Amino acid sequence: MPHARLSVSRPLRLLALVAALVAPALALADDYADVNQLLRNGRHADALAKADQYLAAKPRDPQMRFLRGVVLTESGRTQEAIAAFVKLTEDYPELPEPYNNLAVLYAGSSQFDKARAALEMAIRTNPSYATAHENLGDVYAKLASQAYSKALQLDAGNTAVQPKLALIRELFAPASRGVKPEAPGAAAPAPAPAVVAKAPAATPAPAAAPAPAPAAAPAPAPAPVAKAPAAAPAAAAPATDASRDVENAVQAWAKAWSAKDMQAYLAAYGPDFDPPGKQSRKAWEEERRSRIVPRSRISVRLSDLDIEVDGSKATAKFRQAYSADGLNINGNKTLELRKVGDRWLIVREAVG
Amino acid sequence: MNLRSPFQGLRGQRVAALCAAWALALAGSALAAPPAKSKAKPKKTRAVAARPAPRDGQAEARLIEVYRLVGAGQARQALARAEALVREHPNFQLAQLVYGDLLASRTRPVRSLGDVPEGAGAQGAQPLAELREESRLRIRALLERPPAGTVPSQFLQLSTRSRHAIAIDTSRARLYLFENTAQGMKLLGDYYVSVGKQGVEKAVEGDLRTPLGVYYITSNLDPKTLKDFYGAGALPINYPNPYDTRRGKTGSGIWLHGTPPAQFARPPRASDGCVVLANPDLERLLRTVEIRSTPVVIAPSLQWVAPAKLKAEARPFAETLAAWRAAKSSGVAERLLPFYASDFSADGKELAEWMPRLRTELGRVRGRGVQLKDLSFLRWTDSAETMVVTFGEVPEGARSGPVKRQYWMRVGSQWKIFYEGVIG
Repeated sequence: MPHARLSVSRPLRLLALVAALVAPALALADDYADVNQLLRNGRHADALAKADQYLAAKPRDPQMRFLRGVVLTESGRTQEAIAAFVKLTEDYPELPEPYNNLAVLYAGSSQFDKARAALEMAIRTNPSYATAHENLGDVYAKLASQAYSKALQLDAGNTAVQPKLALIRELFAPASRGVKPEAPGAAAPAPAPAVVAKAPAATPAPAAAPAPAPAAAPAPAPAPVAKAPAAAPAAAAPATDASRDVENAVQAWAKAWSAKDMQAYLAAYGPDFDPPGKQSRKAWEEERRSRIVPRSRISVRLSDLDIEVDGSKATAKFRQAYSADGLNINGNKTLELRKVGDRWLIVREAVG
Repeated sequence: MNLRSPFQGLRGQRVAALCAAWALALAGSALAAPPAKSKAKPKKTRAVAARPAPRDGQAEARLIEVYRLVGAGQARQALARAEALVREHPNFQLAQLVYGDLLASRTRPVRSLGDVPEGAGAQGAQPLAELREESRLRIRALLERPPAGTVPSQFLQLSTRSRHAIAIDTSRARLYLFENTAQGMKLLGDYYVSVGKQGVEKAVEGDLRTPLGVYYITSNLDPKTLKDFYGAGALPINYPNPYDTRRGKTGSGIWLHGTPPAQFARPPRASDGCVVLANPDLERLLRTVEIRSTPVVIAPSLQWVAPAKLKAEARPFAETLAAWRAAKSSGVAERLLPFYASDFSADGKELAEWMPRLRTELGRVRGRGVQLKDLSFLRWTDSAETMVVTFGEVPEGARSGPVKRQYWMRVGSQWKIFYEGVIG
């Protein structure tokens, strides 16, 4: 990709933009993150438009199709959401996430038998899929209460709580799963932000930042992933950009853990990391080594990521599904991170 | 209730807990397979037409299979079977309860049959208790089978004119259907039944009890003329019979009937005195039994006896009947009179009133004698020993004669007739 500099003349910049547009798509992860961000900000129409625009060029892309389904769900367009996820399960029957979200939609309309069937499909594709299991437990409980009501001939309008199942917001793509789009954190390094200076007029920029600002542009152009260096010029440095960085850092940490890459894993923790139990940093590192290295296989998968950024501080809350050598532990986790230079480092890690 | 750890880790424990809980309820996991149900022989007079296979007893058999799978630790299979069963019989409340337990067991240990969360409240307490009782009775009836070849002790002699017979064991909530041939009585099938809310031994009208005794099916009511409540149809029986009347019992309208649409089966004690069966089971009766000649024995607890032993027990009374026949054949009233109880009563007539008719009959047969054709006698013993006797009284040389029913009672060492009437 051409690296345009601010000093380059206007025609050349336009040329660069066009070249960027037609260049083979790289760093598409930015688009997923964009849609996600719009969604988080409640801008459903914009998120849907961006997704549709992307899919116009790449109609089969499963991750964007999945995201589109999530947008439709959150917009309350239930039937369309169901159709989108059903189609995904037909094209990619090995993915558990669309089944899970179908179950959420079915349960939301009290079709608990269908919810159960969908969740059992999710588990069949991936037996340690924590969210699907939890949802399935809730659905079983609800089906049981319905059967009990019929058995005891109690009023159909029972006051038992309707289970609210947990939606999955993005597809995961561990390397072992084959040809799936990469998670946002793994995108290629970005060229300078100026490339997207002249975003195509058709797509409105959300935070209408001045021309050089890269992060806000929702254009389907292969926008650079806002890795820390690229974010520098944007004075506005909107939270969306930093949020994505934090997310990337967290995903990278989970990936390093899964890969037993001790160097990368430990490097994700900042120098002022506060080890639990008042251990010294050294002692904690030894403990982590002893817990991670001996395992023959580790899988750490995160879901329901919720990231809040406040300047150079950030909090990441998520559900962590840890699986190692037959041991499965799921739980909520909170990471506190600080921006150090151009990296987000973990300073506190807590369960719950 | 949310599962915080993945499914696999606890699955084995939960199934084990479920099995343990149910093992207590099931009184042992060694459940015999339900007895094979033989199909009724098609009546020769019926046109040969394609009929749907009889489905009597199948729902219960499927439920018991679910229990068996649970006992064998195959909870997943059990769940699948239970789901199929409730899909086909959504009004089978006991199956729904079992299905609910199997679903719940996927997320938490199930402590007992019908482990309903507290939220069901007081409203559900009685139905739950009734369902547990129904379950207990069904299982017990299937675990404790009558010994092969035995028959209830009431059937001392049953002529083949009664091609079928019914015996009901109220303490087991079970109805047994027999085919009666020259080779003896054969058990065709048995079914769960409900009896009166207040139990058994009906005495007065409105006491919500099922009568005990020897009865006969009097008619077969067209379901189209009946309310939905009665389900597939009704077979009224002749309560009060002459023995009931003699003891001053009142009430009427005791039927064998089916269930309303909302219920596949009813609690063990549910009716106003009738005997209630699930509709598929009643339908089996409806297309099998003959009216007027099918006895229905209703007892608190049936005693099952080998036919040979019953034959031996029948001999003394058979001799008494032979003596009565001889007396009748002699045409001499004074020979016949001792067989009749002093408090004889038939159709409102005391013995003195009834005698003239007897003498007329005797006049007719004098010199010729009578045969007792198609002789049946059923024993009924509660506070006294009685016999319900049916025969065709055919004068010698004639082709047929009136069908008579007599009720005898043992008085001291002698048997006496306290009711006699023509029934056909």
